[in-house]
Amino acid sequence: MRNRLRVVSFVLVVLLVSLLPVYGKVYIDIDSPTIQKFPIAVADFNNLGQTPDGENLSTWFADRLGNALQLTGFFNVIQRKTFFEDQGKSGITAETIKFSDWTVIGAESLVKGGFQLNGSDLTVEFRLFDVVQGRLLTGKRYTGRPGDREEMVLRFAGEVLLQLTGEKGVFDTKVAFVGKEGNLSEIYTVNFDGSGLKRLTNFRSLTLLPRWSPDGREMTFTSYRDGNPDVYLLDLTGGKVRKLLDFSGLNLASCWSPQGRKILLTLSKGGNHEIYTMDLNHGTATRVTSNYAINVSPVWSPDGKKIAYVSDRGGSPQIYIMDADGSNQRRLTYQGNYNTSPAWAPKGGRIAFEGMVNGTFQIFVIDEDGGNLRQLTSSGRNESPSWSPDARYLVYTSRLSGRHRLCVMNANGSNVRILHEGMGEYMNASWSPHLNLY
Amino acid sequence: MRRSVVLIGLSILILAFGFVMFSGCAKKVVKEAEEEKTTTVQKEAAPAAPAAPAETEEQRLAREKALREAALKEQQEKERMLAEQKAKEALAAAIAEIQDIHFDFDKYDLKPEARDMLKKLADIMLAEKTATVLIEGHCDERGTVEYNLALGEKRALSAMKYLVSLGVEKERIKTISYGKERPLDPRHNEEAWAKNRRAHFVVTVK
Repeated sequence: MRNRLRVVSFVLVVLLVSLLPVYGKVYIDIDSPTIQKFPIAVADFNNLGQTPDGENLSTWFADRLGNALQLTGFFNVIQRKTFFEDQGKSGITAETIKFSDWTVIGAESLVKGGFQLNGSDLTVEFRLFDVVQGRLLTGKRYTGRPGDREEMVLRFAGEVLLQLTGEKGVFDTKVAFVGKEGNLSEIYTVNFDGSGLKRLTNFRSLTLLPRWSPDGREMTFTSYRDGNPDVYLLDLTGGKVRKLLDFSGLNLASCWSPQGRKILLTLSKGGNHEIYTMDLNHGTATRVTSNYAINVSPVWSPDGKKIAYVSDRGGSPQIYIMDADGSNQRRLTYQGNYNTSPAWAPKGGRIAFEGMVNGTFQIFVIDEDGGNLRQLTSSGRNESPSWSPDARYLVYTSRLSGRHRLCVMNANGSNVRILHEGMGEYMNASWSPHLNLY
Repeated sequence: MRRSVVLIGLSILILAFGFVMFSGCAKKVVKEAEEEKTTTVQKEAAPAAPAAPAETEEQRLAREKALREAALKEQQEKERMLAEQKAKEALAAAIAEIQDIHFDFDKYDLKPEARDMLKKLADIMLAEKTATVLIEGHCDERGTVEYNLALGEKRALSAMKYLVSLGVEKERIKTISYGKERPLDPRHNEEAWAKNRRAHFVVTVK
């Protein structure tokens, strides 16, 4: 797919003229706890060729790009009916745009574009303008087949995000989760926008805990397929599954090392539930914890130097942090008497988890030094948080008024959207790394 | 009137047939015993009188004795099977009395009622040496998948340890945890949760 699409970037020409740095200005500081949504206009695309626009691509491109940007939660995509100019006909270069027509409706950025159908080839140009300064920020030309147009839109959406926020966003990511019907569960994935549901297992058993490798090519999970909860490794490029661990008792793989083919495990082979690390290339498991209490759900810090995990040694499940070799164990959470499911933010600093409030569960974040505790959800029951690779979003499972859903929110708890619904129950949400799909 | 005569006739026929069949079977056993006896006698008598094996008093007594022994054996076998059947039924009834044991929220220590139930199970297993048990640990739906898998296993292990302390061999006990994934009652309330926090026993007898 990636090879078929030809991309031409023409921002460099502008750079030579303006001598302005490309990412010099951060338009949207998405790490700020209270962000103002950034007003952006996406105009209908121009048909630049001779072939008539039979499929109404002109509005399709504007709609699809607008939706993708809206999903990020950082934009206010201005409604097209408020636009002054004659869409689809006026020019798409800085010289031909009347920027005052856009500032007057409150836009700070503008996307214009054009497409050209040539037999079975589709060429599309996308341009992002700073309306206030009246200049081009970035432009891309993609050439492919008409069926590639979704990919073209998502690639350019990533470019828009890169220009305005300094990072390319999560358009090339998926979310894995467990979908349960009755006593049976399987592992599924959906795209970042909830499209493209795919079932990865068909064991007709209890299958749990999908966890992505850092390169997105492999996945571990636990399944009762052969009676005992064993750990399996799925090759996502070829689809092959092999059993990795089948010690007696529990075999749970909770986290891949950010540095490569090492995983964190919970095993109960010795009678106690202890945390182990295992090098997948050598296949040896090394025990990290050693006590009678339940020790479970371990995750590495992004630098691999620390491990957050859940232990009930204090009488109730709480989140603890230790050094990667098991030393220096300390309790992180003190508020509430049931805190589990730690997820370390990919850029470090914060840990998301679920905690019990008034008999139900809500999502929290806390700094890794124990400060700055914040409750992010408050209605229904919300569990199993997992960070997007850019640490700007959390995916989680939700049950509200008897309806089970997979939801996404911004890292500050705002902009909640439903990623998927309709299954009996959702569990173990797990956001993929960047998959470089586009 | 004629029909009843025919019916009576038929019944007599069936009875007679049944009798013949039954006696035939009974004779078979006796015959085998007789033959055995005869062979031995023949062997002993061989050098003196090789021909004409007329039944001596001794042989007759032996034959009758064999007959009595066979009948006794048959009776004993019947009684043994009956006793076995009764024991089986008693065992099945005892096993049927083994109920799930229940736990408090986020706890895996055994309550007094749970200990009583486990004592009953231990009695069964100590009496019936071929019995093995699978202990399933379960939890209510609150909390994470992983923590509940561990908690469910702790519950199953608590039950196992108590059985072992009562003299049941560890090798005859298996444990598995289903965490919160196999609730007995799928509702989301206190009543359902209390039912779902349990250890379940699957007893198998060879």
